[in-house]
Amino acid sequence: MAASIDEPAAIAATAVAATPGRRMWLATWSQTEFKIGLVLFLLLVGTAFIYPLLSDIDPTKLSVRERFLPPVFLEGGTWAHPLGTDQLGRDLFVRSLVGLQNALMISVAVVVLMFAFGATVGLVAGYRGGWIDTILMRLTDAQLSIPLIILAIIILTVSRPTPFSVIVVLALAGWPVYARVTRSVTLAERRREYVRGAKILGASDSRIMWLLIAPNILPPIAFVAVLDIARMMIFEAILGFIGIGIQPPTPTFGTIIADGRKYLINAWWIATMPGGFLFLTLLSVNLMGAALERARNRLLRGTI
Amino acid sequence: MSERLLTVEGLSVDLVRDGGLVPVLRDVSLALEGRQVLGIVGESGSGKTVLAKALVGWVAEPLVASRGVVRFRGQDLLAMPPEARRILRGSAVGYIGADPGSSFDPTLPVGRQIVEKVQAVRADIDARAAKKRVLDLLDRVHIPSAARRFDEFPHQYSGGMLQRAMIVDALASDPAFLVCDNITQPLDVTVAAQIMRLLHELRSDLDAGIVFISTSLPVVCDIADELVVLSRGEIVERSTPARLLEAPAHPYSQDLIARNPIIWGTPPLPVPAEASPRVILAVDDVTKTYVVPDRTRFFGTQAVKAVRGVSFAVHGGENLGLVGESGCGKSTLSRLLSWVEQPDQGRIRFKGQDIAGMSAQQLLAMRKGFQLLLQDPFNCLPPNLPIGRSVAMSLQIHGGLGRKAIAEQVRAVMAEVGLKEDDRERLPIGMSAGQRQRVNIARALILEPELLILDETLSALDPMEQARLLDLFERLQARHGFTYLFISHDLAMVRRVCTRIAVMYLGKVVELADTRSVFFEPTHPYTRALLSAVPTLEEKPFKAADCLLEGEPPSPIDLPQGCSFAARCPHAMPRCRVEEPPLVDLGGGRFSACWLNEPEVSRAA
Repeated sequence: MAASIDEPAAIAATAVAATPGRRMWLATWSQTEFKIGLVLFLLLVGTAFIYPLLSDIDPTKLSVRERFLPPVFLEGGTWAHPLGTDQLGRDLFVRSLVGLQNALMISVAVVVLMFAFGATVGLVAGYRGGWIDTILMRLTDAQLSIPLIILAIIILTVSRPTPFSVIVVLALAGWPVYARVTRSVTLAERRREYVRGAKILGASDSRIMWLLIAPNILPPIAFVAVLDIARMMIFEAILGFIGIGIQPPTPTFGTIIADGRKYLINAWWIATMPGGFLFLTLLSVNLMGAALERARNRLLRGTI
Repeated sequence: MSERLLTVEGLSVDLVRDGGLVPVLRDVSLALEGRQVLGIVGESGSGKTVLAKALVGWVAEPLVASRGVVRFRGQDLLAMPPEARRILRGSAVGYIGADPGSSFDPTLPVGRQIVEKVQAVRADIDARAAKKRVLDLLDRVHIPSAARRFDEFPHQYSGGMLQRAMIVDALASDPAFLVCDNITQPLDVTVAAQIMRLLHELRSDLDAGIVFISTSLPVVCDIADELVVLSRGEIVERSTPARLLEAPAHPYSQDLIARNPIIWGTPPLPVPAEASPRVILAVDDVTKTYVVPDRTRFFGTQAVKAVRGVSFAVHGGENLGLVGESGCGKSTLSRLLSWVEQPDQGRIRFKGQDIAGMSAQQLLAMRKGFQLLLQDPFNCLPPNLPIGRSVAMSLQIHGGLGRKAIAEQVRAVMAEVGLKEDDRERLPIGMSAGQRQRVNIARALILEPELLILDETLSALDPMEQARLLDLFERLQARHGFTYLFISHDLAMVRRVCTRIAVMYLGKVVELADTRSVFFEPTHPYTRALLSAVPTLEEKPFKAADCLLEGEPPSPIDLPQGCSFAARCPHAMPRCRVEEPPLVDLGGGRFSACWLNEPEVSRAA
């Protein structure tokens, strides 16, 4: 096709001496979605971690006189409690921010853990093949066959739910998906010519696995993992909601929602505020993840 | 009133991109009568396929026909309502494309798909008549036991057979006009020669006008009555084959002719280097059989005999060619030689040392002295690594050098193969096939190997780039004293650079001799068949009609008894079907595996 005639020329014209990493960063930064996502994310994280320190309001302090105060934008709301108070008179803004802290720390830790473990298992299974593959994959299947909620109930009712055990449970439930996906891409990747080329050059298996195959297949999976931060925040909230997450009095999204559920008719804001924070966080994470993925696609297609 | 079958007047087709128009075809005019073969020749990117589709009124997004008309029996195809065009196309036009593999639905038997087409375009033929018609046609294109083949699925057909089935598909509706778009391109030379022979046979009893499009000038000249040369979307010359070859008017046509390889003509044969007695690589009776699952039985397996007892030796400083068609075991052999896979039997020795007995460290050291350049330039580089780091990786693997020394050597070697300094940070994606192959060469070269194996390294490149890289190889050989082993299906390329040639067929070396003997006095019938099938513009000493019978190479799963070429060999004797001829020394460094050589051997003895 004639279209393909002048394409290399166009690419050659734009090719600069900048490293691919730098080109990808420039392409990411040039997207407005990314900037919006980043600003929103920094704002949320900054507020979540800094405001409770500066504020003298204790998120667990009860105040019978101030029960069911509505948020500031409703009639009767005050700036002393910008998002209102709950049924025990606790400040919802600070409670939500502390909940967001917990949700963020737990979900990021979970995603890092399950991505690292799942991708390693998948890469080794896919690259080595044979009996190693069989053992690792049967293990994965076994793990996949236990539903998350049942696993969580078993582990978290037997042991005391702490942030650490919540992280372990969620990571345990999540890694098989990463192992499966990584394995299937590795299977295709290890048959590519460049892998054979590296073997002929004398490259060791670990070099091929970690320095050649991994950087080629993991980025798209890592983008999915970034989006999974959002999913894990929801799971953390679910665990809190059914009472097997981090225990009160530490505020979490799940416990705030569970408490507010009973007053949904009269004080709808209690259960809604955590939802609002969850929504904004997910939005910012997704905006950034999508922008990164677009930039990488453009890099690999050679258009930047 | 008698209308011309097909006329194209002033056709221009543009590609819509980014709001602008990129011209693909400019002011193309053609005319075609019934029973005539019009050849269109042009290199890839010249707009051939767009033209082929425009001829049948198929100009779809993002292409637009900005000017001109295509008339089929007086009707303007481009202005027709799409539905009328579809009916006309189905009944009056046959189209044979370059990719038979993906033209059939893999889930339906081949015969049924063709019958379905016949019934879709010809309401007057009932199911039984349609089936009979398809069976007749399958017979006519020499598909053996057509009745059985009718019910087989596309994956059970070989590439050549599928192309024949495509021809049946195109002929089934009795078209008045047939477009053959690069039909020989994906096929092996001997199979392509058989398809061309079939087309010659068919054209004499068809009324249809044929448009034959190809990148290969010799193939077009072989069949066309008249031809046009297409370059960058424009017709630069129209002529007859004879006139074009004798006196090409346009510089582009002259260039096109000059680029065709000359095999038996004047260019000197490569001078054998000082016959060095030093054997660098010795391959000794190497065998490789793959066990694959047999899909017709539970837990059943089949043995694919990919390489069957191959022996040869590569001497220092020489260029040895290993030629054969697809499926002859070349790629398997290259995998064995590079020790990515291990042979079942036999030994491979590098500088006298058996590779099988090497320790991991010795193996690593051997890999330094022994490099293989792979075929596919688009897949052979890690896509995420900037090429500077790709090249540096070779040295990092073998260790012992500092960062600075590595960067220095990378710079030097990239300059040596003709890459720019700025290219270091580029990803392979933006580079042409030729440039990628240079990166590949740099990756091997930086290790300063003694032996370079080129496994179809140049076959994905266009002829210009091929010539440039061959020059580079020659320069590098002169400077570094390399030994090359060219593994290729391209006889003309091997003829240009190699001093000795081994011919492989179905996992065996059937002939091994110096280049002169192989091309001028071949001793094996398969070599003659191969030579007769090479598309060249010269008068060939071997005619395909005398050297090659109909028939397909047998499957390496189900090898017949005796000589594996017997089924296609015009000289086959009863003995050939029973006993397999061994590779015998005919003297003068010539080896051949054929019973026909028997008397000579006894005479020599």
